[in-house]
Amino acid sequence: MATVILRKEASPPAGSGDLASMISRRLLLRLSAGLALGLAGGPALAEIQRPVRFGLTAVVVRENLPFFKRWSTYLEARIGRPVEFVLRRTYREIMHLLETGDLDFAWICGFPYARRREPEYLELLAVPVFQGLPLYRSYIIVHRDALAGGLDDLRGRVFAFSDPDSNSGYLVPRAMLMERRLPPDKFFRLTFFTYNHAETIEAVADKFADAGAVDSYVWEYVSHSNPGLAGRTKVVARSQLFGFPPLVARRTTDRVLLQRMAEALHRMHEEPGGRDLLAELEIDRLIPGHPTLYDGIRQMADRLSASGAPEGR
Amino acid sequence: MRLFSPQRWSLSVKLPLTITAVIASVACTVALVILIDTRAELMRTLDERAVLLGRAVGESAAEPVISHDYWAVYKAVKLMTSSLAVGERDGRVLSAVVLDVQGRVMAHLDPGAYPVGMPFPLHERGAETLLRLPAPQIRRDTPHNGRWIESIVPILSAQEVVGTVRIRMSTGEIAEQTVEASIAVLGWTVLLAGAGSILGTVISNRLIRPLKALGDAMDKLKTDELTVPVSVDVSDEDEIGHLVARFNGMAAELVEKRRIEQELAAAERLSALGRIAAGVAHEINNPLGGMLNCLNNLKRHRNEPELVGRYVPLLERGLTRIEAIVKALLVEVRAEQSETLGSCDCLDDVRDLIVAEIGGRPIELRWTNEVSEVFPVNCQKVQQVILNLLRNAVQAMPAGGVVSFRAAAAMGRVVFEVGDTGVGIPQENLPRIFDPFFTTRAGGTGLGLWMVYRLVESMGGGIEVTSEPGKGTLVRVSLPIAVRELSEPAHARA
Repeated sequence: MATVILRKEASPPAGSGDLASMISRRLLLRLSAGLALGLAGGPALAEIQRPVRFGLTAVVVRENLPFFKRWSTYLEARIGRPVEFVLRRTYREIMHLLETGDLDFAWICGFPYARRREPEYLELLAVPVFQGLPLYRSYIIVHRDALAGGLDDLRGRVFAFSDPDSNSGYLVPRAMLMERRLPPDKFFRLTFFTYNHAETIEAVADKFADAGAVDSYVWEYVSHSNPGLAGRTKVVARSQLFGFPPLVARRTTDRVLLQRMAEALHRMHEEPGGRDLLAELEIDRLIPGHPTLYDGIRQMADRLSASGAPEGR
Repeated sequence: MRLFSPQRWSLSVKLPLTITAVIASVACTVALVILIDTRAELMRTLDERAVLLGRAVGESAAEPVISHDYWAVYKAVKLMTSSLAVGERDGRVLSAVVLDVQGRVMAHLDPGAYPVGMPFPLHERGAETLLRLPAPQIRRDTPHNGRWIESIVPILSAQEVVGTVRIRMSTGEIAEQTVEASIAVLGWTVLLAGAGSILGTVISNRLIRPLKALGDAMDKLKTDELTVPVSVDVSDEDEIGHLVARFNGMAAELVEKRRIEQELAAAERLSALGRIAAGVAHEINNPLGGMLNCLNNLKRHRNEPELVGRYVPLLERGLTRIEAIVKALLVEVRAEQSETLGSCDCLDDVRDLIVAEIGGRPIELRWTNEVSEVFPVNCQKVQQVILNLLRNAVQAMPAGGVVSFRAAAAMGRVVFEVGDTGVGIPQENLPRIFDPFFTTRAGGTGLGLWMVYRLVESMGGGIEVTSEPGKGTLVRVSLPIAVRELSEPAHARA
């Protein structure tokens, strides 16, 4: 602390002399950048100005801002460019930003990833390994004091989905009802979206919803980070396993950058700083993964489509 | 009894009590006004807060209400009604609910009890209109001092009511604050009253000290012997100070006057003694001169027997006179044998004597004896007294007149009145008429009234003389009828 103040106090006499030259230098830099764009059309300088944008969805608990600040610092050191995490409320917004090219990377849900895109603009960057496997599932949770013992006991109740584009928070519970030959749109008295797995837990804990579908990884994470909240809920049904929500990149992203980012992520567990970050996320490591990991989701979505139930709302 | 009659309380109690009571009542009144005012203000603030909160919820929930985003509505209700600092629920918010226009719950703060999507139980009259209120409204538990107030605020979207926010807030905190304020006010009142009573004690002590000193000084003044000046310290120059100063002046004058009186009385006594001595000397000296002459002549002519025959009676007469004077001076005041005083005997003897005294003079005697009962009175003394008085009356009327005598018994006393229509006694002589040898008549001994005085005094009675020069004199003698004490020893002696 003391050194910071000392430096602050020491800087004006040293900097004041340099101020004019600094401004002029920066001005010169911009001018030269504009010239370079105009004359040569090379994007190199403009790319340097713009930070790498990394989208985050509710597949991870996003409320821990200091953590993402530290993660971005970690990644910046390895890819040599500033990294900015971008948060949006819905999956759809993040997907849209990916599509338009506003985002370079994103941590998205398996369902949007598994959807067919024409032309394909996404590419698998990394898959988290959670409890030893790159897989997760959907939990059906109810209030700790509720009598319900499974999905079948929830007829006529209030049910909380997380996001219409969520696999574990929307697609899976509907599929589970379908498998039981129960009408997904009439089974519950009332349903709503929380757009956040953590808030689905809150809705059930507060008894605002009688039950909810939640990402197993998020529920486990919250049960450690906020046991008071998750402790007021209990899991009454578990779905089959699906590919863990992946980290993806836009195909058009600079190959060098993409390569550096992939390497930085895949090697996180090898470095002490990276291990600490992964431990905070409660993830073992990040692996390259393979698109076939998400075939299960794709098939389930296809089945739901075929049966006439709309994929979205 | 003393405790319950404030008129008898000491000023040192009354003054502090009065000041304490005044301060306490003023403090209580002011406190009450402040309390009532504060309470009203708190209630107003609570009303405003409830409406404000309802509006805030309505603002942030309007869009989610339209889009049936129940979770967003619930989050709006939950966040708005939580105190920002702790993240816990605001203790004053009892309940909060957002209803759609059909009266169904969109979000309630207690979702377990009021599930989303279910009709909200509306009990109040006109509940239907409350679902489409144009402007915020406040409902109360009871008109005054209820446990809660409830704001009903419409959620508007493009001037249309899309839902209602109801926020119920507890008035408990206000009650608590009022109680706390009351305790504080009570404390202050007690403190002020205590200070007031101390102040009152100090003030009353300051006021009462000179008053007490005045009272003590007055008590001192009452004792007759006091000739030393009495003075009270003057502390202040206020009304009491002036009073004390005036009293000091008065006391000094009184003491001075008393001193002069005592000096005068001493002089008077001395002069009276001198007069008596002079009278005695004079009365004895008169016959002594003649007697000494007789003795000288006898010594010179001791062989002349006819002289002895002439002088011895003269000597005897002189000595008899001296004896009479001395006897009169030494009136024996002893309890003589008691005789009964009846309607005739004793007094009528005196009547005979005085009739003889009057003889042929033009004097009328009016005799009234109203004493009908039999009283034990020393007859000899009473006869002597009455005779002396009647003689004086007769002698006071050289030109004739009326002598009246009246005897009566009343209220345990016997009263004799002797009146005449004679020359009367001049005012200046009245104080001296009972002095021995005081006389205005040539040839009088000046011992008659003195004897009357001593006799009456010996019987425990009193004399009253009323006289007007030229008109006459009335002497009233009153004697107590002392029944047994007088008669018993008399009988024993007899």
